[in-house]
Amino acid sequence: MRRAPYLLLLAVLLFGCDRGTEPALVGKPAPDFTVQDSDRKVSLRDHRGKVVVLNFWATWCDPCKVEMPWLVDLQQRYGPQGLQIVGVAMDDSGKDAIQTFAQQMGVNYVVLQGKNAVGDAYGATGYPTTVYIDRNGKVLNHILGLVSKSEIEDNIKQALAGGTSQTASTPAASAQGK
Amino acid sequence: MRKPKTWWKVAMVVLLVALPAMAGDDLQERPANTFVTLAPVGPVTVPVGGGAPLQLKFVIGSGLHINSHKPNSDLQIPTTLKFTVPTDLGVGPVTFPTGHELTFGFAPDVKLSVYSGEFTVAARMSAMRRAAPGNFTVHGTLRYQACDDKLCYPPKDLDFTFNVKVVKGARRR
Repeated sequence: MRRAPYLLLLAVLLFGCDRGTEPALVGKPAPDFTVQDSDRKVSLRDHRGKVVVLNFWATWCDPCKVEMPWLVDLQQRYGPQGLQIVGVAMDDSGKDAIQTFAQQMGVNYVVLQGKNAVGDAYGATGYPTTVYIDRNGKVLNHILGLVSKSEIEDNIKQALAGGTSQTASTPAASAQGK
Repeated sequence: MRKPKTWWKVAMVVLLVALPAMAGDDLQERPANTFVTLAPVGPVTVPVGGGAPLQLKFVIGSGLHINSHKPNSDLQIPTTLKFTVPTDLGVGPVTFPTGHELTFGFAPDVKLSVYSGEFTVAARMSAMRRAAPGNFTVHGTLRYQACDDKLCYPPKDLDFTFNVKVVKGARRR
């Protein structure tokens, strides 16, 4: 009987600890958005039927710049299979500055200037934030922070194969490109 | 062999220590007060027609760094400080400390000039000759952009206030 409080505490420790909450978006329809890109309007739904990787970034974000060459490579390799990476720049820099920066980085995927509302809708509280969306517009995964290239590629492969949602992973302790 | 009666107590202590470490990084949104805070500002007393040193010590949240006042790249957002002072009072010049260099495993060739831990900004409060003695409030805003080793946060403003007491200056002979 004297052990009961301790056993209860033990149960709470084992099963009650929060080891990282799954983002609320995973498994749900990706919020649609429309932004003005140069002389046209671009909507997320324009890419329905493809696997979309939304990558929220900023020109002042060094971890984002590490990811960019990896995303360029992955777009080139998996684009024919239906991958579309969309880089959403959350800068205050002008559109021209963002496009110039993207060109200098050799970006071969869609780059848009994001709005705070779009970032908020996707829980992009920091950058990079990467959201994986399947061909039907459902969010498969939501990653906050820099992760390894292999992890990004694994998520893309799973999405292209019609993967199901999984618990958002925490970033690797040290990200290494492959 | 009979098991010790206290084995389950030992197990719980181990769990209490180990589970927080096993939880891993939680990169959910950080509360605002875990980014940068201002340590209490000591009493600032300024004589009319004179000045007094001002030291503002900022504390950066564990695991974070912010760009220094002069980062190494034009693309990076520098840390800046602005003041709103009552009439007849002034703040200046403001001196930021030199940032320290930081590199990360994900970009070993990139050297950042940053502040981490604590940093102190020095300035000088002044009161014009026509300033009236009394207690005044000075408003300040520190603008900064913070990152950890995997994630960068949008620029943030830390608004703060501190009190200044203006006293009669020493009589000149």
